[in-house]
Amino acid sequence: MSQYMAAIWKCRYFWLSLVQMDLRGRYRRSMLGLGWSLLHPIVLTMVLCVVFPRIFGDMDVRSYAPMVLVGLCFWSFISTTTLGGCQCLHHGERYIRQYPAPMAIYPLRTVLGSSFHFGMALVVVIVLRFLLIGFSGVASFASLVPTFLLLFVVGWSLALIAGFVTAYFPDVQHLSEVGLQILFYATPIIYPADKIQGKLGALINLNPLTTFVELLREPLLHGHWPSVTQFSFALRATYVIAAIAAMTAFRLQKKIIFQL
Amino acid sequence: MTSIELDNVSLMFRVRQNRRLGLKDFIVNQMFRKSANPFMEIRALSNINLTIREGDRLGIVGHNGAGKSTMLKLLAGIYPPTAGKLTVSGQISSLFDLQLGFEPEASGWENIAYRGYLQGETPRTIKSKLTEIAEFSELGEFLNSPVRHYSSGMLVRLAFSVASAIDPEILLVDEVLSAGDMAFQKKCRQRMHEMIAKAHLIVMVSHDLEAVKAFCNRAIWIDHGQICLAGSPHEVIAAYTAAMSGAVPKAA
Repeated sequence: MSQYMAAIWKCRYFWLSLVQMDLRGRYRRSMLGLGWSLLHPIVLTMVLCVVFPRIFGDMDVRSYAPMVLVGLCFWSFISTTTLGGCQCLHHGERYIRQYPAPMAIYPLRTVLGSSFHFGMALVVVIVLRFLLIGFSGVASFASLVPTFLLLFVVGWSLALIAGFVTAYFPDVQHLSEVGLQILFYATPIIYPADKIQGKLGALINLNPLTTFVELLREPLLHGHWPSVTQFSFALRATYVIAAIAAMTAFRLQKKIIFQL
Repeated sequence: MTSIELDNVSLMFRVRQNRRLGLKDFIVNQMFRKSANPFMEIRALSNINLTIREGDRLGIVGHNGAGKSTMLKLLAGIYPPTAGKLTVSGQISSLFDLQLGFEPEASGWENIAYRGYLQGETPRTIKSKLTEIAEFSELGEFLNSPVRHYSSGMLVRLAFSVASAIDPEILLVDEVLSAGDMAFQKKCRQRMHEMIAKAHLIVMVSHDLEAVKAFCNRAIWIDHGQICLAGSPHEVIAAYTAAMSGAVPKAA
C-alpha cells in the first residue's frame, strides 16, 4: 500500500500538471468559465426556490435556498466525479500504453478537478449564507475541512471503481447515469432530510450520502458542529468505499491493460 | 547491475470475437449460461526464456505480428506476463508508440513537460533540458501551438526529442530510427549512438537489419511468439534473411 502511494507521489508532477491543464481548459483562462460552471446549481436553486416552498407550504425561502444550493453543489461533485471517473482510464490510455504508472493517478486527475470545482462552489454557498443568514456560528466552518477530506477520498474511490468497471463493461457509464438519477432523489438534496418520515425516511437515513450532505449543512446552515455520530458514520462509509477501491486497484492494476 | 530475466514467460490475450460485452449482456449471458460472443485466445508470446545482462545490446527481428513489439511492452511492464516470471533490475526508459501520449489541447512546451514528468523528471530538472529538447526537435515557433495541429512527423520529432533527453539505464527501442524526414533520421541515428553508448542495457526492435547489425551485439529472431533463433546479430540476420528470401517465391 505505502509502496503504491509512493509510486503515485513519485509521478506527482505528471498528474498535477494534467489537472492544471484540465482546469485551465475548463476556465479558458478567465473568470467567465468559473461563473459558467457555477451557473447550473445557482439557476437550479432559483427554480426550485420558486417551486418547492409552494409544495411544502411552510418553508422559508431564506433557509431553503442555501440548503438546496449546498445539496446541489455536493451532488454535482458526486456525479461529475463518478461520470468523469468512468472515462478516466480511457482518457489515460495513451499514457497507460507507454508507461507503467500506477492506475490510481488517472481517477486522481478526475477527482482533483471536481474537488476544485466543489471548493469554488462552497465559496459561493458561504457567501450566500452570509447574505441570507448572517455570520453566526462561523467557527463551526472548521468542520468543513475534515468533511472535505473525507469527500475527497470518497470521490477518488468512486472515480477509480467507476473507471475500472467501465473498462470491463462499457455500458456502465450509461447505467451509472441512470443510477445517479435514482440516487439523486434518494438523497436529501432538494428536500430537507427531516421532511420524509416513516420507512422511506429510515431508508434515506441509511444512505451514506445523506450523512455527507448533513455534514456540510450542519455548519453551513445552522452554524453547528456535526455530531460525533455523524462523523463516525461518514468515516466508516469512507473506509468501506476506499477499501473496495484499493482492492480493485491492487487486483486489476496489471490486468486492466487487456481491457483498454 | 542492470539485467532482465525472462523465465518461461508467456503472454496470452483474450479478446472477444465481436464487440465488447456490456454489463447487461454479461448478466443475461450468465443467467442463461450461453455465450454468443466467446473469447478468442491469442498467444502473443509463448515460453520465452531469455537473460539479458549489463552491456548487452539485443536486437529483435521477425516479421510483422511476430510478437516483437509485444515483447518490448512486456519488458517495459505495460503487459504483465500471463505465465512465467519476468525479473527486471534497473530503471527502464522506452521509445515506442511515439505518436501516442500527447495531450492534443496542450502546447508543445507543455507536452514536453508532461512527458518529462512521466519519465521521472521534476520541474527543476526539466527546465535545464527544455531548450535542448526544443532545439533538437527543430520545431521552433510551432511549440507554442496546441499539439493537435501537428503533423505526425512533427509529433514524432517532439516525442523522440523528449524521450531521448534522458540518460537511460535500460533502453527499449521500437522502430524509432525511421522517425521523421531524412535530415531528422540522421540526427536520430546520431542521438541513438550516444544513447546506446550511455545505456547499460538495450533491447531494440527493428526491421532495419543493417541497424541491428550496427548497434547490437546479440540478436534474437521471434516468430509466432517464440524465439526461433538466438545468437550473434550476423548469424541471426543471415538465417532470417535466408528464410525470408525463401518465403517470397513460395508466396508468389
